[in-house]
Amino acid sequence: MIFPKWTNWLPLVLGLGAALAGGGVVAGVTIYLTPKYTRAGYQPVQPVPFSHRIHAGQLGVDCRYCHNGVERSWFANLPGASTCMNCHNQVLKDDTRLQIVRDSAANNTPIPWVQIHKVPDYVYFNHSVHVDRGISCVECHGRVDQMDEVKHAKSFSMSFCLDCHRDPAAHIRPPDKVTSLGWQWGTNAAQTAELQEANGPKLVQAWKVESLQSCSACHR
Amino acid sequence: MKNLNHISGAPVTGRRYWRSLDELAETPEFKDWLHREFPQGASELEDGQSRRNFLKIMSAAFAFAGVAVMGSGCRRPEEALVPYGRQPENYTYGTAEYFATAMPTRTGAVPLVAKSYEGRPVKVEGNALFPNGNGGTDRYAQASILDLYDPDRARQFTQAGKKISRDEALAALGTLSAKFAANQGEGLVLLAESSTSPSRARLQKLIADKFPKAQWFTSDAIDSAIHQRAATQAFGQPVRPVFNFDQARVIVALDADFLGGEDDAHNHIRKFSQSRKPGETMNRLYAVESLFTLTGAAADHRLRVAASLVAPLAQALLNAVTGGGAVAVPGIDPKWIAACAKDLADNHGNSLVVAGQRQPLEVHLLAYAINSALGAIGKTVTLLPAIPAMGADLKNFDGTGTDTLVILGGNPVYHLNWAPKTKPATVVRLGYYNDETALKSDWVFPGTHYLESWGDAVTSEGITVPVQPLIQPLFGGLTELEFLARLAGEAVTNPHDIVRATFGVSEEAWKKILFQGFAAGSAPAAITAKFSGTAPTVKTVTPSASSLEVVFYRDAKVDDGRLANNGWMQELPDPITKMTWDNAVLVSRKTASELGVANGDIVEISLKGRTVSGPIWVQPGMADYSLGLALGYGRENAGRVGTGVGFNAYKIFSGSYVETGATIRKTGGTYTLACTQHHWSMEGRPAVREGNLEQFAQDFDFTKGYSEAAPPIVQSLYPNPLDEAKKTALHQWGMTIDLNACVGCGTCVVACQSENNIPIVGKDQVSRGREMHWLRIDRYFTTEPSRRKPADAFQTDENQQFEQWIDDVQAVNQPMLCQMCESAPCESVCPVNATVHDQEGLNVMAYNRCIGTRYCSNNCPYKVRRFNYLDYNKRPLTELKGPFYSTTLTHKTDGQWDLLRWWNDPNSGMRTEDEWDLIKLSKNPDVTVRMRGVMEKCTYCTQRIEQAKISQKAKAGASDNVRLKESEKTVPKTACQQACPAGAIVFGDVSDPDSQVAQLKLQKRNYSVLEELLTKPRTTYLARIRNPNPDMPDYRNWPYSHDEYEQLNGGTAEKKGNS
Repeated sequence: MIFPKWTNWLPLVLGLGAALAGGGVVAGVTIYLTPKYTRAGYQPVQPVPFSHRIHAGQLGVDCRYCHNGVERSWFANLPGASTCMNCHNQVLKDDTRLQIVRDSAANNTPIPWVQIHKVPDYVYFNHSVHVDRGISCVECHGRVDQMDEVKHAKSFSMSFCLDCHRDPAAHIRPPDKVTSLGWQWGTNAAQTAELQEANGPKLVQAWKVESLQSCSACHR
Repeated sequence: MKNLNHISGAPVTGRRYWRSLDELAETPEFKDWLHREFPQGASELEDGQSRRNFLKIMSAAFAFAGVAVMGSGCRRPEEALVPYGRQPENYTYGTAEYFATAMPTRTGAVPLVAKSYEGRPVKVEGNALFPNGNGGTDRYAQASILDLYDPDRARQFTQAGKKISRDEALAALGTLSAKFAANQGEGLVLLAESSTSPSRARLQKLIADKFPKAQWFTSDAIDSAIHQRAATQAFGQPVRPVFNFDQARVIVALDADFLGGEDDAHNHIRKFSQSRKPGETMNRLYAVESLFTLTGAAADHRLRVAASLVAPLAQALLNAVTGGGAVAVPGIDPKWIAACAKDLADNHGNSLVVAGQRQPLEVHLLAYAINSALGAIGKTVTLLPAIPAMGADLKNFDGTGTDTLVILGGNPVYHLNWAPKTKPATVVRLGYYNDETALKSDWVFPGTHYLESWGDAVTSEGITVPVQPLIQPLFGGLTELEFLARLAGEAVTNPHDIVRATFGVSEEAWKKILFQGFAAGSAPAAITAKFSGTAPTVKTVTPSASSLEVVFYRDAKVDDGRLANNGWMQELPDPITKMTWDNAVLVSRKTASELGVANGDIVEISLKGRTVSGPIWVQPGMADYSLGLALGYGRENAGRVGTGVGFNAYKIFSGSYVETGATIRKTGGTYTLACTQHHWSMEGRPAVREGNLEQFAQDFDFTKGYSEAAPPIVQSLYPNPLDEAKKTALHQWGMTIDLNACVGCGTCVVACQSENNIPIVGKDQVSRGREMHWLRIDRYFTTEPSRRKPADAFQTDENQQFEQWIDDVQAVNQPMLCQMCESAPCESVCPVNATVHDQEGLNVMAYNRCIGTRYCSNNCPYKVRRFNYLDYNKRPLTELKGPFYSTTLTHKTDGQWDLLRWWNDPNSGMRTEDEWDLIKLSKNPDVTVRMRGVMEKCTYCTQRIEQAKISQKAKAGASDNVRLKESEKTVPKTACQQACPAGAIVFGDVSDPDSQVAQLKLQKRNYSVLEELLTKPRTTYLARIRNPNPDMPDYRNWPYSHDEYEQLNGGTAEKKGNS
């Protein structure tokens, strides 16, 4: 007998082993390379410890006070330091944490904020058309008004975009509530869901909101 | 019964549509070539490495790459967002801004609107606000923006070849100024190009006052000012002509390529197309010419005649018009002249004779004499005050006693072979490139692009336009105005202030001028004058095989050589020869056969003791014993793109554009020319449909007339998903292209390239059939069927260029782009759904899905899809001319192996850092920059459509006013449509019955190309209508193309169209 008896099991063991290893690699790659892993949760340290929780949450500053191009441009601009100084020439005007901002406004040198939210270069996302047509900031950016340091809240994968594009009625809200991140149709979850279901399609129909799913909507 | 066999690719005898001489003969090589999916070599990797070696090295590279990716994690690199420190007012980041400006030309200016993103101009368009303007431009203006970002432009101030600082250079200029202020300008000579700038004229006068002994010379390689000189002489006062082609019913072009090579062609095309609309008032064009030009292609009657015989012909025409009896011109049918003259006389006051700028002064005087006899002056020819001549002719300059020679712009060392007899002590040069002239200069000042300059100009209609900068000079160059002001020792040297002072209006008025891009009401009143010259008597010089005629012409692409380093222009196929990256010696069939030369043979041309060598190209429709030489090639120091492209015809040029007495000698060498004209043959299908005005009047149906016998499929088994999607979509996009308006100038091709980030591929790649133009212009030659025996179709390669019937041909042009088929053949074969339809009828390409199988291109009947064989954006500029291309494994940049550079920065590419930055600046941010391995094609400018839709929706907000409407002017224009000076391209919403495009599609002239394939194209064409004169000896009932189709298909079209 050249081969011992256990070798009868060898092909099966090898096959199983290979399947497990292969499956592991596939699963690993799938998880490790998805936007859910690579993007969501990204929270870099910014050059200035600016807190959205304080400004947008506690103080109730509207998003568009600083991101003032969001209704006109594809890009929701970051404010120039001169915008910060509108208040901070009075408030905390000698605070050392704001030294960079004061320098920037005085010398016109930009502050290098670290980019958090980004779609790939071949995606042409436009802020204005979403914000002006009743899609709230919160849909993509999450509760920024509750974040001290901004964190990438959602995955920004293509399916994330398509979920909404396939059913805009489930996400649309009155345009004046777009920047109220905590706003809801009702007082509790059940009521909100019910009202969204009742009002969403009405708004979609009244404003002729298209459910754009063709390539040309985002890719050029 | 109609025979549609030719569609299945069966050999056809008597096939007549042909695009090149080679194709005409149906050589086995050509047929083989045609039947390959892609041209020879197009799918083969041919660099120094063998395929096996390449795979080995690449697998190693991939292994490294894998390690790199895992090592650094999958997160993207950290990037910074940098807002302003101090936010500028009224500016929103990410939105395009538009500024009115103008591109100065030799005798005028092209009023423009430049689109700017984040302070960098990305696209220029014609100013539609301009009086009578339609927003059209010319090729040169469209391509000019690439020059702004040319990595080879002059970047440094140098003295004796060594870099000096800007301050040092300016100080030296100040020293010069002080020196000449002290001696009244003794020994100062200025040499400049023609310009219409009022500010420059003002500064020139200042200099003349301050330095009275200084001399000023003007020199242009291409002399467009002859129209003004001739008019001044003809009318006895300083006037210049404006030709009103829109008012003319009968036009005779005497070697005048007013639709192509003449200055201001875009205005001529606009006016010509206005009076060219089929119907009662359609104009008729007679062209007399030696080269085959765009004007000849547009003509109803074209007479092929040597350029030196145009003068006697003009005299004969004058005689006939004034009733002076017939004068014989050698080789010309007297009936042609008589009938043409009668037509002119019958349209007294509505006819126009134009002499070409190539022709000598006598021909211009004869033309004015004819115009005067025809009552055209003041009607079809308007006279405006002349632009004052800016300086003496350079011929009068010998350099004696010159201390300092100042050369402003131009490139006299290249285009004049020019050097003063005595070299001046100092040569100071202000120029845009470090070109041939800069090399011979002591001081070199980098110039500025017009998009970096304050300036002004006067258009051909006499309207003053401001030149407004969009960006600071990228390399700190000086504008001509600032240079002159500093030389004059003026206190005000800021070019803005100089221009502002010249305009001298109130601040409000100035703002308005800048906003709209022209000074309203600045057009001078027309001058009423009578022809006071005498019609000269001309000698008849007949060229022959031993005394050939040489015709030098302004190139359709590189102009006089100034655009030689512009890759878009080098790669634009010549409108007639379809040649890229070269010029050639154009000869007729008869000349070639008598001299024993054939395509590609290098010949040496000797003209009055000067010689130059270049390759032969047999051009159908050329005059016999005439050589056509394009100027502007053979640059020795143009930059990495333009150096060494073509041969320098200036070497035998001595100032007159037509000369006889040349001989040619075969050198024995041959040369490969990269033409696009072999590509994508239509094989006799009725791609271009034509009729005469007569058939148009009889309401001939150009769809039914050709394709009633197409397979009668009414309903497909499978429903088209678009039919369902259409119901809810807001718009349905479509396009019509009016072949009657299109003259084939190629402006749309360059506009498309500029808008859509289309790369250039280089001569080597073009010759492999890999050019990337999304929009091409097909040019077909047609001939009278009876002139060719069917057996002629199968002659060998050597004999094909010598067939007699190629002598007199008609030419047609057809812009060909993605037809946006409703049932698109490309879509059904894509294995990854990378090309699909959207709900508005666009056949869209998702680049990121494309895996590069090229099935779609294979299955596209129109051959409009383009594949990125290489990463053209990252290729080194030096390798555009081939034959090899580099990979990151074989190429070094900045002395470092590219693989290493790529390791450090995956985006580095094979270009140096500064070059790379400029290339990035030049791209349109609205369009993806495609990389290797991706298929691409015309998108109907989907980025413009999306932007229009987005801004309409953003405006609509909480309302349903989301539809783009032509009545509200919210429908976008495609780049090609916008740029077209003829207005031939119309794009719009076909589901809106009132839209222009929907209306045009109802015309009987409307047809689809290859409609029998049932692709249902959204792009349709309007048939071309010719307006020949029944009295002419060359009159035919139908255009040649139709006769050919009839012969092929059994003569059924006419009956069907009239039924």
